Amino acid sequence: MPTFFTHTLAIFQKDLKTEWRTKERLSAMTFFAFLVILIFNFAFEPGSPIMQSAAPGIFWIATTFAGLMGLGRAFAIEKQNDCLLGLRLTPADPGAIFLGKMLGNMVAMLLLEALILPILVIFLDVEVFAVLPRLCVPIFLGTLGFAAVGTLFAAMSMNTRLQEALLPILTLPVLVPALLAAVESFRGILEGDTLSDIFPWLKLGGAFAGLFGAACLLLFEFVLED
Amino acid sequence: MRRPYIPAFVFGILALIGLAIAPYMALMYAGMEKDMGFAQKIFYYHVPSAFMMYIGFALCAIFSALYLYKKDKKYDIWALCSAEVGLLFCTLVLLTGPIWAKPIWGTWWVWDAQLTLTLMLWLIFVAYMMLHSYSEDSLQSAKFRAVLGIIGFLDMPLIHYATKLWRTHHPEVVRGEEFGLPLDMKIAFYFCVLTFLMLFLAILFKRVSVEKAHDELESIKSEIRDRKAILGQLGSD
Repeated sequence: MPTFFTHTLAIFQKDLKTEWRTKERLSAMTFFAFLVILIFNFAFEPGSPIMQSAAPGIFWIATTFAGLMGLGRAFAIEKQNDCLLGLRLTPADPGAIFLGKMLGNMVAMLLLEALILPILVIFLDVEVFAVLPRLCVPIFLGTLGFAAVGTLFAAMSMNTRLQEALLPILTLPVLVPALLAAVESFRGILEGDTLSDIFPWLKLGGAFAGLFGAACLLLFEFVLED
Repeated sequence: MRRPYIPAFVFGILALIGLAIAPYMALMYAGMEKDMGFAQKIFYYHVPSAFMMYIGFALCAIFSALYLYKKDKKYDIWALCSAEVGLLFCTLVLLTGPIWAKPIWGTWWVWDAQLTLTLMLWLIFVAYMMLHSYSEDSLQSAKFRAVLGIIGFLDMPLIHYATKLWRTHHPEVVRGEEFGLPLDMKIAFYFCVLTFLMLFLAILFKRVSVEKAHDELESIKSEIRDRKAILGQLGSD
């Protein structure tokens, strides 16, 4: 078992290191998310109450779309020079490869979220910082669920003719409960709810993350093998 | 000569008889519902379709798990066909639902738990079909589909719970209760369920036999290719 976690950590570190050296993925994701928020400002009346009540939704739409883009990249780089084959040839368990990739994606997403929350405050004028500690819980759960399902489906869609284009089609319908939980918790917290008020939503987010984290960990083996 | 596929034939005949009688059972035999009137008649087709949709998707998940466990092509064929037939009935549910909802609820669509779940299942299994169409390697496609079939099935209770929770702030949707039905309605309803089950099985078995034949054809083709390649090599030597 300790080797499992050593392998996980090694793959996780590898992903972080490539990202740190290039900073390609995170910068593209952040800019994309920023643009999504901007487009919403043009689509609706800026500064209107509609925008404020839509803020949780806009945050998660921006995160989801940018996240999907990042997930596609995470496996596209593994396809170059047959890196995925190289990963498979290592003694690492498929589960460890999944967990390493998933953690890498999750860290990228959490960084992205940390970067776009201030943008949300500036452009949509929502009071996020006062409730930040509470807000971290549903954001973390939502990101965990997203990263688990997204990593599995990204590995799958990479091996089809459509490549990245298939990823949102596979991921979004499955992700509905997690997104709903994340958006509703965000909304509740902005309206002044405590964590126990939104507990049903947190329970749902946690259940999604737990169930699909475990299911994807077990199923990844079949996606990877030839 | 391939012998005719018996189960598909038998279920097909039964479905044909059932479908001939079902309109009579639904429209004439069963009494008129007081509040909903004629619109309620669509329940005799809508609800059995929904049952068949669940059976199709559940079968798909079971065969998918069996395929990943045993790696036998036969289970993949069954999973694919169950998903296809399930998707067909899912589409029927989504088409017949609004026809009833418009006169009764006054709107084509409501974001009720049941409706949302059906729509999400439809989307997940359309993605399943896309995965089938856009895969380059049939063996890999089979594994990917199996994974999605299982994930989609696991997602069902979560989607249902999520939409229920989401819509609790909104007025409760009045649903047609199946319990306490008068006997004539009950008989007509169960007759339709049975008919749809026969139809489901007939399409499923037929679809499986077609897919098996297709699979056989592919293996014969690849064998011919191999032999030609060997002959070509011998010729050039």
